[in-house]
Amino acid sequence: MNSAVTAAPKTRSDYVEIASFYLGDVLLGLPIDQVEEMNHHFNLTPVPQAPQCVRGVMNLRGNVVTVIDLRVILGLEPTVITRQTCNVVVSSRDEQIGILTDRVGDVVRTRWSSIEPPPANVVGSDGRYFRGVCRLDHELLILLDVEQLLAAEASAR
Amino acid sequence: MDDRELISEFVVESREHLADIENQLLAIEAAGANADVGLVNTVFRAIHSIKGAAGFLGLSTVGQLAHDLENVLNLVRNFQLVPDAAVTDILLRSADKLRSMLDDIDHSNEADIAEYVNSLQAIVAGMVAEDAHAGSPASAPSDTPTVAGAGEGYHAGASEWEPTITAAPQCDPVVQTASAGLPGDNVRPLATSCPSQTPAAGPPQNTEVPRGSAATSAAPAAGAIAESNVRVSVNVLDRLMNLAGELVLSRNQLMQTIASSDHVALGTVAARVNQVTSELQETIMQTRLQPIGAIFGRFPRVVRDLSNALGKSCQLIIEGQEVELDKSIIEAVGDPLTHLIRNAVDHGIESAEARANCGKPVVGTVTLRAFHQAGKVNIQISDDGRGMDIARIKEKAVAKGLLSPDQAHDMSDREALQLIFRPGFSMAERVTEVSGRGVGMDVVKTNIERLGGTVTIDTQLGAGSTIHVRLPLTLAIIPSLIVRCAGRRYALPQSSIRELVRVKASDAAARIERIKRAEVFRLRGDLLPIIRLNAALDLDTANEAESALNIIVVEAGHLRYGLVVDGLCDSEEIVVKPLGRHMKGCSCLAGATILGDGNVALILDITGIAAHCQLFIPEEATSTEDTADESTSDRYDLLLFRNHPLEQFAVSMDMVARLERVRVDQIDSVGGKQILQYRGGVLPLLSLEDYIGCKPRDEMAKVYVVVFPAARREVGLIVPELIDIRSVTAEIDTTTFREPGISGSLVQDDKTVRLVDLQELTHNAHPEWYASMTPPALADNRAHRVLIAEDSDFFRKQLCNFLETEGYDVVGCEDGAVAWQVLQDPHNKFDLVVTDIEMPNMDGLELTRNIRSEPRLVDLPVVAVTSLAGEEDVRRGKQVGVNEYHIKLDRDQLVSTVARFVTSSVRPVCAGRTR
Repeated sequence: MNSAVTAAPKTRSDYVEIASFYLGDVLLGLPIDQVEEMNHHFNLTPVPQAPQCVRGVMNLRGNVVTVIDLRVILGLEPTVITRQTCNVVVSSRDEQIGILTDRVGDVVRTRWSSIEPPPANVVGSDGRYFRGVCRLDHELLILLDVEQLLAAEASAR
Repeated sequence: MDDRELISEFVVESREHLADIENQLLAIEAAGANADVGLVNTVFRAIHSIKGAAGFLGLSTVGQLAHDLENVLNLVRNFQLVPDAAVTDILLRSADKLRSMLDDIDHSNEADIAEYVNSLQAIVAGMVAEDAHAGSPASAPSDTPTVAGAGEGYHAGASEWEPTITAAPQCDPVVQTASAGLPGDNVRPLATSCPSQTPAAGPPQNTEVPRGSAATSAAPAAGAIAESNVRVSVNVLDRLMNLAGELVLSRNQLMQTIASSDHVALGTVAARVNQVTSELQETIMQTRLQPIGAIFGRFPRVVRDLSNALGKSCQLIIEGQEVELDKSIIEAVGDPLTHLIRNAVDHGIESAEARANCGKPVVGTVTLRAFHQAGKVNIQISDDGRGMDIARIKEKAVAKGLLSPDQAHDMSDREALQLIFRPGFSMAERVTEVSGRGVGMDVVKTNIERLGGTVTIDTQLGAGSTIHVRLPLTLAIIPSLIVRCAGRRYALPQSSIRELVRVKASDAAARIERIKRAEVFRLRGDLLPIIRLNAALDLDTANEAESALNIIVVEAGHLRYGLVVDGLCDSEEIVVKPLGRHMKGCSCLAGATILGDGNVALILDITGIAAHCQLFIPEEATSTEDTADESTSDRYDLLLFRNHPLEQFAVSMDMVARLERVRVDQIDSVGGKQILQYRGGVLPLLSLEDYIGCKPRDEMAKVYVVVFPAARREVGLIVPELIDIRSVTAEIDTTTFREPGISGSLVQDDKTVRLVDLQELTHNAHPEWYASMTPPALADNRAHRVLIAEDSDFFRKQLCNFLETEGYDVVGCEDGAVAWQVLQDPHNKFDLVVTDIEMPNMDGLELTRNIRSEPRLVDLPVVAVTSLAGEEDVRRGKQVGVNEYHIKLDRDQLVSTVARFVTSSVRPVCAGRTR
């Protein structure tokens, strides 16, 4: 009778799948359960008075989705949209938001235990956007904190 | 069904049981010793059901609290306990706790209810101990088990506890600082007391409600309102079922028609699908409409708790609980309304002594009214308190650095009141828990505007204030106008649009002026502030300074201005989509929508744009309005034209349905009359020279046609050359140029302009149409008689014409005094009075007052037709007994109103009837 009212404890499996993408030569990633899709749709409508990082809004299957520029959030020059530019659509607090990145990467499968805290000198920006760093065979993958990314510009104007 | 589903159902049902409990408990408190047993039983049964189900589902804490509540309620229903303020507070707070446990049902068993249980048990114990101490013979056997039962706590499946039957002492129950109401305790010796006993410490129950709890007790109630369920009337569901069926049929037809490539039928089928879809959409939206009483219901408690906390005496009057709103709006508007009500009690209503000193009734009144008007839901919160001191508001604003002393001096009263909505602004002398931090009003305004609504304030120093909230009926789908600016498309909600104006490039210089730093536009004599959309949105302006200007006159609340855009596209019904959280600061935007081509268009927020541009309302605009209202000459909107280059004519715009432009070769001549093939039918045409003395028109290739309704059909007047549409206040001469078809003349730009009476003209051209029209059928076979009181000859003539055309018997009087004389004669029987308000000897209000005080005439319907139809005027009119107000001069509306009143009056007007 009591099982109905007590919550089952959650266990985390040791493996995580990370959707990865490039910003210049740097490989970044997000846990795949946060990523809704990755596409190449860029029919953006600019929004006047919106924060700098907002490139515009787009129509994603009937929903009006904000698209933000990751480069601008990290303090870099705005993304130049090319055929390789990838729109990573994440889901956060019941809202879909698209993030512009330069190039799509692979889905990386690794263990949580192999993710280390980030070094302080990555891509020249605040460390709060980065959750950790993961060593892959040939390169370093930086795991992003999506809530921090989205929150950063939402409050600052 | 598994456990989870059972528990969800339990939560839903329990919420329903608790839905009205607040107001029921307040009613029981108010009734005092004359408690309505039925009401108490209802509350008892509600708690009892919750207890029973909780026990079955193993929700022990919920069950325990319900059990203790039940015990107290039992005392009440057996007349052993009359709940006073203190007891009611405990009951209310226990109900709050129950609700909050229901909200988090999974953790309810861990909830700490000791404080509530103790208080409830103390009430019960107090009652029983009272008997023991007072020496009244308690039925001994049941005494101990009674208290033990209370202290036993709750066991799953325990049988209902039976009360003792003893006479209840009328003294208030003692609220004891119980150390622990634990199982097994016996009666503790209690001190007898009456009303205010202040315990030293322990559970926070004093008879005087502490400040903090007043604020917090309201909060849990507020949070619990949001439900994820909705009640839908069975009728609406039936309609939905029918429409779904129709849609299926139409779809089948569509598939068939496409398969068989039957293009002709395709149009019809598509039209049918279109229609069914619209009806379906409307009906589905109706399911989301909930009566606003759902949130109004929590306010009596708010007012009561707050009044007690502040030591004031207030009552809350609620009207319009049945007014319906979209569910999402209801949920969102609850908090702002709560804040406004608390403000009214806290800031508005004065203390009892202050009120007595002013000669006001000691009990302050806060009125909460909801009603539909102008396509919106209006909510008014009025208080009869101290009102707002505009001078002090301005002082405070200057002191805070929000304004310079000069700006404050120039500011109108209305603008000064808007200062209250600025962040950080508060008129409170001290900061209390309730208000004073200045965080409230700006949040209220923002939240209401986010819903697409507006907030305005009216106040009278010493008499009270009224806050007026206007909300749209639904958020989801709105009709809008798509406009172009800087190469992009934007959507403008239709509800904000008053007018569309196009100014030719050549006129632009003349009609657009600069005052101080802002651009203004002269529209029919009034000054309208202008905002250029590209400037407001900081967009690149491809400066086409030489092209025509598209100005959209928009309005939101008291604000009116012209928005300049590059171009206009279609009108469309759009689905409103919210903008993401990053766009919270975009005050100029209200949302976004997806257009037919899949692109996103942003939705403009009229109020936001004005705020962003710090709209400057030119003083002159307001003063010309005032003088126009005070002048006794009426305004006429006239269409000026020429039939021949040397002669000018005009028709009243109220009569004009449409203007068309046609080629002369499209006009046919049949049986000596001219006609036009128009909209799938035949439009009879009239040429002015055929019926009145004037020069004929010149040869021309194209002409205009003024289409107007007459004799229950449409007719067109051929107008060779249009001059302008103007609002004029000139005097109309009704004698010099009088002839059938011409009702008078006036002078414009030094030229004589003759006023064409379209009704008379049509009557002359086609008398056979009027002869065949039968007046509305009546019970006693007499024509309906209408009395018209109007001092302007021109208007009186127009009114008489309209109504006579419809078959009424009309008597016109040039003043209220004359009308009154006519009415007083008992041989004159009338079915309706149509009256102007402004008349020299006896105005419309006095006339109505006289009518209503005469027994024979007291039920006579009175319709006021006037150019003064502001809220204040309407209210005054309704006060003296005017049935309806009409603005000069909407013919169709007036005719249908007259018909409605005349046919609905079942009782004939007869002499000598007593009441």
